Amino acid sequence: MDAPVETDVLVIGSGIAGLQSALDLADRGFKVLVAEREASTGGKMIALSKVFPTMDCASCITTPRMSAVAHHDNITTWTYVDVESIVPAGDGFVATITQKPRYVDEGLCIGCRLCEYACPVEVPHEFEGGMGARRAAYIPFGTAIPQTALIDIDACVYCGKCEKACPTDAIDFAQVPRTLTVNAHSVVLATGYRTTPVDAKKEYRGGSATNVIGALDMERLLAPNGPYGRVLRPSDGKIPDSVAYIQCAGSRDETLGVPYCSRVCCMYAIKQAMLLSGALPMADITIYYMDIRTFGKGYEQFYQTARSMGINFVKAKVARIDEQAEGDLTLRVEMIEEDGRVVDAPHDLVVLSVGMQPGDDPRRFINVDLDLDKFIATPEPKLDATLTSLPGVVAAGTALGPKDIVDTVVEASAAATKVALYLGPPALALADQTNLHVEVRELSAAEAVMAAGLTEVHGA
Amino acid sequence: MSVIVDHTLLPALKQYGAFDIGACFNCGNCTAGCPLSKDDTTFPRKIIRYAQVGMRDSLLSSKELWTCYACGECSETCPRQAEPSEFMAAARRYAIGSYDRTGLARTMYTRPVLGTMIAVFLAAFFAIFMAAGHAIPSGGSLDLFAFVPEDLIHTIGIVVMVLVALAGVAGLVTMARQVGRSEGVGWRTVFGSRAAVGRSIRALWESIGVESLGQRRYREDCDADKATVPLYRRRWLLHALTMWGFLGLLAATILDYGLALVGIKATGTPVPIWYPVRLLGTIAGLMLVYGASMLIVERYRKASRSVAHSAPADWTLLALLWITGVTGFTLELALYLPQAPAWGYWVFLFHVAVAMELVLLAPFMKLAHVIYRPVALFFYALGRAPDQPDLQGGTR
Repeated sequence: MDAPVETDVLVIGSGIAGLQSALDLADRGFKVLVAEREASTGGKMIALSKVFPTMDCASCITTPRMSAVAHHDNITTWTYVDVESIVPAGDGFVATITQKPRYVDEGLCIGCRLCEYACPVEVPHEFEGGMGARRAAYIPFGTAIPQTALIDIDACVYCGKCEKACPTDAIDFAQVPRTLTVNAHSVVLATGYRTTPVDAKKEYRGGSATNVIGALDMERLLAPNGPYGRVLRPSDGKIPDSVAYIQCAGSRDETLGVPYCSRVCCMYAIKQAMLLSGALPMADITIYYMDIRTFGKGYEQFYQTARSMGINFVKAKVARIDEQAEGDLTLRVEMIEEDGRVVDAPHDLVVLSVGMQPGDDPRRFINVDLDLDKFIATPEPKLDATLTSLPGVVAAGTALGPKDIVDTVVEASAAATKVALYLGPPALALADQTNLHVEVRELSAAEAVMAAGLTEVHGA
Repeated sequence: MSVIVDHTLLPALKQYGAFDIGACFNCGNCTAGCPLSKDDTTFPRKIIRYAQVGMRDSLLSSKELWTCYACGECSETCPRQAEPSEFMAAARRYAIGSYDRTGLARTMYTRPVLGTMIAVFLAAFFAIFMAAGHAIPSGGSLDLFAFVPEDLIHTIGIVVMVLVALAGVAGLVTMARQVGRSEGVGWRTVFGSRAAVGRSIRALWESIGVESLGQRRYREDCDADKATVPLYRRRWLLHALTMWGFLGLLAATILDYGLALVGIKATGTPVPIWYPVRLLGTIAGLMLVYGASMLIVERYRKASRSVAHSAPADWTLLALLWITGVTGFTLELALYLPQAPAWGYWVFLFHVAVAMELVLLAPFMKLAHVIYRPVALFFYALGRAPDQPDLQGGTR
């Protein structure tokens, strides 16, 4: 076992909440360690196309944060790790963390992707919602940080082509999981959410009907670097003429055990509908909703804009989707605002506006209380909304409950402030104000190759 | 058009069993998922809405109450788990309580203890009335009509039938007028011309023949249980057997009386098993006992969503049907025993008393649906007729 790593704050998760908390704390002079389950930082946000209501390109505003965290002198980032346990010890915590094997030496890999190009194995790409393909040796996605390859050992056929292709001999099939220990004074839980599985509601045929997709899949279809580079329906590559959104497909539904509203689905569906209007100018877009809940700053205007753009809003809860010939779909709805008749509305492509459910269960590794709906409980929900039941542990973002990016970032900064107050002046007492700014320094050799590689891949 | 809002409607419906309909947020999932919601006859959401906003008249004039066969599909998928199927059942109970002017149905439904006591006392009254002054005959074989004379049974039967007919017709007229007004169907649209009469006769056949006796939509559309439930436990079949059995027995009893009236066969004359009236009675009795027994078992086991909740009234009807059928067959058994048992007389008394009660209480309990469903289905068929009358002046 390696020697324990000392840090002021341990941040679990590097989605936009974890990134923001880490940056705010590091800028104040605290030593921060970020632990991320996936092979890249960025969480769910980096996979989005654009974000409401500003219509900013998601990767354009997420990558600077990812990059700032990666380059911050006070932040250490561990990706592709599993947190095994975090237990109080003295006035801090001891965390046991497992580094999962990448089968690629992180110190040697320069992110050139030659292993990826050499690898003969193709598997569905999870980053693209399973719609595109990736290799068994791969870099998680184009804008991943770190630009370090890993090998999907379950898919690998051990042909050795990556080993031959690697210019720095970074491939290492002998890697085993490594146990790391961290002594931290405080912990930020930013474990995020998962979306309701598309097959959760059997009436909607998600998972069996190819053209019934989840909203995050549509984010990838709409993203400029998405799996097809444009919006096509998955079953046959047809350009859809008629796209339907089913709201509350996984929220406000007691048959799924999710009685709460997920808060973001109305807005993301409206946003996607607007983007689709641009991507598919000839298509009819219909949003089937129970209520439209656009409560944030500028959100109602956003909704009204969508209506005036000609997007159809139909008040109805879709009871059932039936698959017709050639992958077309019909949606059984009651036309509540017309004469209440029941119709089977035909559509080419159906997007389930899936809800937010708790992501990784933090109880697996830390003894914090959960709410009835399994999000992390907040004993002071009104005036100290980021505190958890465990002193020294705060939480931020969707780990606490469904919320959008705006609220998540605000909450992450609030959590960072609470930690800073809890810890007192930074132990390191970095009077050196240079730490508050991004240092200008020369790129390392690896970073230079990475930058070049990015350009090259996008050019190709 | 003005609408009278009755703010006591929802609390009143709750007394009939609609427990959590306030949870409904009107998403329409129930209606869209309903296998029977078609054309302009859609439910349950619309009916739930009437209840929530206190539109009592609209609720009571909805034929949709009776076009629902309670398969439970809506309750299964309701995102609020507001039990729309159970609401529809409660609304039908409420309607039975409202169409009946005597208040007896309301008492039977909303005060189950009192209702049960009424049922027990009524059966006891019939039994005492019939047995009073008659000793159990001594002798080797059962001579049932020496115990209770057939004339007495016939007289009571006729009185009961007349009372039931009066109550039933009153309820039927009350309902038909309300539904007719809301559907825009009046005397003229039903009888106004040759074409109208033809259309009405076809609708009547559709309602009573195809739907009520033939159970077409129950059989073909409410078939969510088809994949998982074997035929001998299928809901529509159990219901159909119970109904056919009940009607068959009623017919056999009336025919037997008719044969006595025209002098072909005196009541009580022993006849072989293949004698048409007896054969009808036996087959119908088997159907009734099987159907009612299975319905009781399914309801007790809560075997499907449609029987997940039971009101006292559901049990009362099944119990009366089952007792009538089973005591009938016990009586047959007693007649065939070599040494006639004395308990045969008591079973006979019990059988006749419960059968009388079943018929007498029909308009005041769940059995009243045999009156109201065909009326609703008649309006439904009329509305769907190809040469549909010009339904003007409907309130919806």
